[in-house]
Amino acid sequence: MNVGLINGVKRYGWELALFGLLVMEILLFGIANPRMLDANTLLFSTSDFITIGIVALPLTMVIVSGGIDISFGSTIGLCAIALGVLCQAGVPLPLAIGLTLALGAGCGLLNAALILYTGVNPLVITLGTLYLFGGSALLLSGLAGATGFEGIGDFPTAFTDFANRVVLGLPVPLLIFLCAVLFFWLLMHRTRTGRNVFLIGQNARVARYGALPVSRTLFALYGMVGLASAVAAILMTSYFGSARSDLGAALLMPAITAVVLGGANIYGGAGSVLGTALATLLIGYLQQGLQMVGISSQVSNALSGALLILVVIGRSASLNRGLIRSVFQRYRARWSASSPSLSSK
Amino acid sequence: MLKLIQSNRELTALLAIVALFGLLGAMDSQSFSFQTLGMIFGSAQILMLLAMGATLVMLTRNIDVSVGSITGLCAVSLGVLLNGGVGLPLACLATLGVGILAGLFNGVLVAWLRIPAIVATLGTLGLYRGLMLLLTGGKWIEGLPAGLKSLSAPVALGISPLGGLVILLLLAMFWLLSRTAFGRSFYAVGDNLQGARQLGVPVNRIRILAFAINGAMAALAGIVFASQIGFVPNQTGSGLEMKAIAACVLGGISLLGGTGSILGAVLGAYFLTQIDSVLVLLRLPAWWNDFIAGLVLLAVLVFDGRLRQALDRNLRRQKYARFQPKKTPESARPTSSEARTTRRMNANKSGVL
Repeated sequence: MNVGLINGVKRYGWELALFGLLVMEILLFGIANPRMLDANTLLFSTSDFITIGIVALPLTMVIVSGGIDISFGSTIGLCAIALGVLCQAGVPLPLAIGLTLALGAGCGLLNAALILYTGVNPLVITLGTLYLFGGSALLLSGLAGATGFEGIGDFPTAFTDFANRVVLGLPVPLLIFLCAVLFFWLLMHRTRTGRNVFLIGQNARVARYGALPVSRTLFALYGMVGLASAVAAILMTSYFGSARSDLGAALLMPAITAVVLGGANIYGGAGSVLGTALATLLIGYLQQGLQMVGISSQVSNALSGALLILVVIGRSASLNRGLIRSVFQRYRARWSASSPSLSSK
Repeated sequence: MLKLIQSNRELTALLAIVALFGLLGAMDSQSFSFQTLGMIFGSAQILMLLAMGATLVMLTRNIDVSVGSITGLCAVSLGVLLNGGVGLPLACLATLGVGILAGLFNGVLVAWLRIPAIVATLGTLGLYRGLMLLLTGGKWIEGLPAGLKSLSAPVALGISPLGGLVILLLLAMFWLLSRTAFGRSFYAVGDNLQGARQLGVPVNRIRILAFAINGAMAALAGIVFASQIGFVPNQTGSGLEMKAIAACVLGGISLLGGTGSILGAVLGAYFLTQIDSVLVLLRLPAWWNDFIAGLVLLAVLVFDGRLRQALDRNLRRQKYARFQPKKTPESARPTSSEARTTRRMNANKSGVL
């Protein structure tokens, strides 16, 4: 029992640290503004940021597999605009939503196809598709006659109510996020596909020689990022009541931050879905809490950047403990070797 | 032809530029002139400077996604200093100092604290943007002195003093990177870190220096921005980091470090800006802009990736040809599935999957 506990702490050490940080953060903001500790505030303020988590979860898997996808911000914009255009054209809502989801998945699959076909670094390929999808979104909204700032509005109220509805005492976006966490946790840490993802991230070549279905797995991963972007686009459009081509641009950096903060190795091979989920809440509540305390969003921008750097320095220090000790010893040795010679002169 | 392009990757960007001008000339012959060339150069200066900085960082196999924020921070600090009554030369120097410090901080995070570059600069992206907004309090900076604006007014041949500086810097860096041992060490570090260390290259110093120079370039870009626009809005520089990286990639600089020339990066930057201007000249609405940029970027990448794979395959065949038994046509031909596998292996030789 005791050994099991210690093993658990070791295995989930980073997740526990994140959880501790999250609790501490909420309590600290609670001291400054008691309204933060209200369960309703905590639950319903998630709707503002939880879409970050919805895309960050599949992104974690992509990063663990040694790739990266930076085009999802544009995919969100493209899906939102497509949904708006379809609704404007009088397509029934369920069909429009289905088509939007298909479009998102298609964007992801295109990424995977290009990466596998060219063998070029995924960061570069998705940089290209970032412009392509973002450009397509602008093109589509331009052709549909929507201006950049207003976007496409007048959705049916049934749709705009969707993101504000409460099911089982939870707001719908949060509920979708929790389902996604469960799904991706099972997929990543409890199935053979999940193990394959880790192996591909450790060494893609060996995975290929080991007859793992590398291409198929990568197609599935990037497709899921695209699909999740489409879900995020639908939720955000419903939440804000209008579809804009730049909806997702603000999500790019926070989502990658959540993945990295959640303990994923940016070079692939390690990462955790639970960590990403906790990191999303940590980042989101930091923004919300700072807003509630009355600190402007500018400072909170700087603070979340500084938080990322500090946490990563801490992690890097604990991972390279031996190196730091040896450098320290070398400097001490040099200092003690040089000081007698100085004094003898 | 393919070999030529492969060994001179900046030619792709040059070809793209010429093709786009050709298109412009064919569609509308009077709008193409030497003046257009200079006008596009004027608006490309910011991106060129950023691409030059990004080249150094990418050569050492790192990436910097915080340059947009550094540009904004520097533009704002220049504005605050000038409006506070500091003289123009001193303010420019101080701005350069801010940029170099910001870059140094990135470099220290990456080289000494061993944080992956994309993670570290992602953090500083938010940090510098926040600092910039703190400095201004969220307001725009207006009423910059006329002396600053005259820096980007054309003097000779339609080129402004700052434009001249950009060209001088480009030539200096081209010479440095291709002709001096110091410059080659940037390539060495990016190509093979361990090898460079054993050659006696001060690896960490070079990496930090690359980030610091990148910061200085971003600061210069901030100065150019302030002098061209005449005021400093809140969102100054946001999104430029991706554009700078795209320009470098277009110009043939590999994210895997150690290959590419600074000329290519600058041509890539010129091309990306040229798309905007040509669309305006062709009277197409601006929303085509990113779409075309993305298409061209992807086309170049796909072409480049396939070409590299083909060359790798060739090299491999030559290397292993002498181990092959003297063949009868029947057995020498590998089954199609086998060929497929080896090709895939080759494709992933750089470990990019």
